[in-house]
Amino acid sequence: MLVQVRLFATYREIVGVGQLSWTLRNGATVGQLVEAVLARYPRLSGHEDSMLLAVNHEVVRPDLVLRDGDEVALLPPVSGGDR
Amino acid sequence: MIEIQRNRIDVDSIVNTVRRDDAGAIVVFLGTVRSDPDVRALDYEVYRPMALRTLAELVERAREKFGVLDMSIVHRVGRVPIGGDSVVIACAAAHRSEAFAACAWTMDEVKRIVPIWKTEAGPRKARFKSDGHRRRRASHRKVP
Repeated sequence: MLVQVRLFATYREIVGVGQLSWTLRNGATVGQLVEAVLARYPRLSGHEDSMLLAVNHEVVRPDLVLRDGDEVALLPPVSGGDR
Repeated sequence: MIEIQRNRIDVDSIVNTVRRDDAGAIVVFLGTVRSDPDVRALDYEVYRPMALRTLAELVERAREKFGVLDMSIVHRVGRVPIGGDSVVIACAAAHRSEAFAACAWTMDEVKRIVPIWKTEAGPRKARFKSDGHRRRRASHRKVP
């Protein structure tokens, strides 16, 4: 199956583009997709603990099973403190 | 009204979207770009469909939580100059106490969960340090 991966802010700068098409085996989870993306872009490593995941514009857990055509967003932390 | 736009925000028109005869108070919050050394503007980046959805959910939660009558949120994206408004929240309620509380709570939530990031735009075009090892000074942070 094919999913779209969206990247923003710091992650977009690290990867160099804001969107990737990604082929996965059927039944793959969001977490497995993130592992695959991290393997291809090692400079994203270290960010996974603070990464927020969304599928089709809704925050999800890593164990969600993906479906063909899903849009998966890897979101940098959106907690901005006092500024 | 929920909107994410690149153009300057017209505050009066946002306030007018929440005027109602049964409102005794309208609280307006403006998030503005503050002058800092080496900062000439802020660049805002948005995941638009998710941000619109999240903002609409926040308005509904503010209605349930505080009993507000109406609320509009407009966020500006792209480059916003020093002194410019980056976000405007207008909140109408029967009494001022719930209007103040709802406006403050909503702005905290906007900063916490809405997928909008900002980068400081400084005077130098090169955003990375010249030695190639240090990370760029500008970091992505949450709004405003």
